[in-house]
Amino acid sequence: MPKPGWDDFRFDGIGTPWEISTPRPLDASLRARLLAVVERYDGDWSRFRSHSTVSAMAREPGRYELPAEAAALGRLYRSLYEMTGGAMTPLIGGSLERLGYDAAYSLRPSGSALPAPRWDDVLTWDGHVLTTAVRLVLDIGAAGKGQLVDLLAAELQSCGVDSFVIDASGDLLHRGPDPVTVALEHPYDPARAIGTVQLAGGALCASASNRRAWGDGLHHVLDGTTGLPVSTAVATWTMAESTMVADALATALFFVPGAELERTLDFSWLTVFADGSAAFSAGFEGTLFT
Amino acid sequence: MRPSVRTSVFAGFAGLSLAGTVAGCAPSATPGTPAPAGAAADSSSPSGTSSSLASSGSVYRDGTYSADGTYRSPQGQETVGVQLTLASGTVIAVKITEHPSNPNTRKFQGEFSGGIAAQVVGRNIDELKVEKVAGSSLTSGGFNEAVEKIKAEAK
Repeated sequence: MPKPGWDDFRFDGIGTPWEISTPRPLDASLRARLLAVVERYDGDWSRFRSHSTVSAMAREPGRYELPAEAAALGRLYRSLYEMTGGAMTPLIGGSLERLGYDAAYSLRPSGSALPAPRWDDVLTWDGHVLTTAVRLVLDIGAAGKGQLVDLLAAELQSCGVDSFVIDASGDLLHRGPDPVTVALEHPYDPARAIGTVQLAGGALCASASNRRAWGDGLHHVLDGTTGLPVSTAVATWTMAESTMVADALATALFFVPGAELERTLDFSWLTVFADGSAAFSAGFEGTLFT
Repeated sequence: MRPSVRTSVFAGFAGLSLAGTVAGCAPSATPGTPAPAGAAADSSSPSGTSSSLASSGSVYRDGTYSADGTYRSPQGQETVGVQLTLASGTVIAVKITEHPSNPNTRKFQGEFSGGIAAQVVGRNIDELKVEKVAGSSLTSGGFNEAVEKIKAEAK
């Protein structure tokens, strides 16, 4: 529990453990409502559930209506698609069969991915209505967990709960008067942290490659072809008002420098590179250990 | 094993630093190593794997072994090369080689308000007063995979 005396409501949703901490225990009916939101979201968006809308899109092209949250999700994905030159896309590449949408509908992916189709060739995402020109696999994984955090927060607030921490396995949203202190997990060692940050009314999300390429005191990863230090991002953190935005931007930082992204989007960022160096925006000033 | 086309290597002294980190995770094998050893060994982190390797005594033949592991980063499938030097069942040197298929070139030129840290520093989470941890425990899949191959090869 993040605060002494707070109560934790734990459950599994969209394939990951969740923990909602509140000053007082949530009653049974509110817990049921929260679980219903999770179940509904998964039922619409999961590409691993054969009855989901997304799975239907993989079986045949057409016009699909999704819940209202689709509009914000589509706008966010579209702008990141453009800002990353198509690198960040909700469209999964590779043959559908390879992804498990075979005759037997095994849903077991195999083989490596092929390039994703171009958005404008196959998909019109207009508000909550998606029109597809071909069978396609939609994957909202880079922002979906964050959006579900926001939906659960809205549910809590509509029920009069104004102080809480939602922890979706490391993606966090805090609301209320007392900030929480959050450790930034070391990219290569979950037992260690590289800094701490005060989260006061907003979202903090993280993304990491699991490239085990440096340790403390390990300063120089040299590119054998150039002799220069490699500067590949290995871990990222973001803070934003919306968890959906923070979640998506944590991934976008692997493709576009934060300084570039922050020209368009209002958020704070921290990127740690393979050589152990880090760059960060003003919002992360003073959070790293020295 | 896939062919090793290595585009980057650690500088030698850097490799030794990492060797210290990995070998230091062996329970009681390196008494000089402070707290991180215990903390890391308790978790299911890669350190745990390394410690089982290092503490297995004469099970493994001395020598230098290489293997590649694969993992997924947000940029897609990546490969990491791991080279371990074993002596008396202990890892005495580690070299990691990256095969960055999508090098994300840094373009920071000091234009933004914020900063750059030359080197981030880790501290034990147990020793910090924090209420939550934000991270993405995608750690070490590729590294562990490579270490498992080496363990099999070194027997």
